[in-house]
Amino acid sequence: MPFDALNDVSDEALLIAYGNGDAEAARALTLRLTPKVLGFAARMLGGDRAEAEDVAQEAMLRLWRQAKDWRQGEARITTWLYRVVSNLCTDRLRKARGVGIDTVPEPEDGSPGAAEGLQQAARAAALEHALAELPDRQRQAVILRHIEGLSNPDIAQIMDIGVEAVESLTARGKRALAAKLGPKREELGYEDG
Amino acid sequence: MAEKKPLDDAELDGLFAAARGTAPQPSAELVARVLADAEAERAAIASAVPPRRRGRVASALAAIGGWPAAAGLATAAVTGLMIGFVTPDALEDLSGAYFTASGYQLEDLLPSYGDLLGEG
Repeated sequence: MPFDALNDVSDEALLIAYGNGDAEAARALTLRLTPKVLGFAARMLGGDRAEAEDVAQEAMLRLWRQAKDWRQGEARITTWLYRVVSNLCTDRLRKARGVGIDTVPEPEDGSPGAAEGLQQAARAAALEHALAELPDRQRQAVILRHIEGLSNPDIAQIMDIGVEAVESLTARGKRALAAKLGPKREELGYEDG
Repeated sequence: MAEKKPLDDAELDGLFAAARGTAPQPSAELVARVLADAEAERAAIASAVPPRRRGRVASALAAIGGWPAAAGLATAAVTGLMIGFVTPDALEDLSGAYFTASGYQLEDLLPSYGDLLGEG
């Protein structure tokens, strides 16, 4: 099947095709899912790129291994992957306790030169620093809800908690972020309120 | 303490949007690593597929040791047939010489043979 033709195929159909030996399906899934997995892992790990890449590779490997046993319709592949990444990151964060906030690298400047691009980069960096100071569960819930854009029921499934607990975690996380970043309002390009 | 006022929701949303816009993209090396894993696992899945059920001929062959054993069996059978039909002179001379030289008759070698004939 030509590669372009796979753009409209669902993740699940691609995974099943992969399980049946289709190499092109693996390529399509890799290009589609690795950015999501890597982005989430990098945010969960406070921007540690090398660590995030290892987590992304491991999560995708677990997906390949799951292919032949995948139970159709039971869970969305992205939800399943976010859950795997969450667990992997939580394990690594537990082992790496004590890593200071100063070790969080500045994000790479995606489009240097443009003032707007610089401001976006500054805002993303400030948010990343503030996120890294949150308790793990709050950080995870805020990232999944407000950056990855998942629904509360999906997050509940990923974090293995109730929807109300998700709402509580995101609300507390957002309050904490707003308080931490308030003093940086001007740096972030916001008018004094 | 005006400068300590927390960000409002719209300002926070602006930060989240900035974070979405600066998501790290996977390097070519990471994509290659993930694809290599996919290929290795695909090979593992393919080799783990159970063998097809054997047919009757294949089962019989497997029972005697496969095609080499069947070839040996066929050779032996053809050789036996050939010996039976052709009866090489050397073989007859050997058995004939043995019987006459020893003075034995067939009855001596198979004592019940005559009785069997007598009983009809």
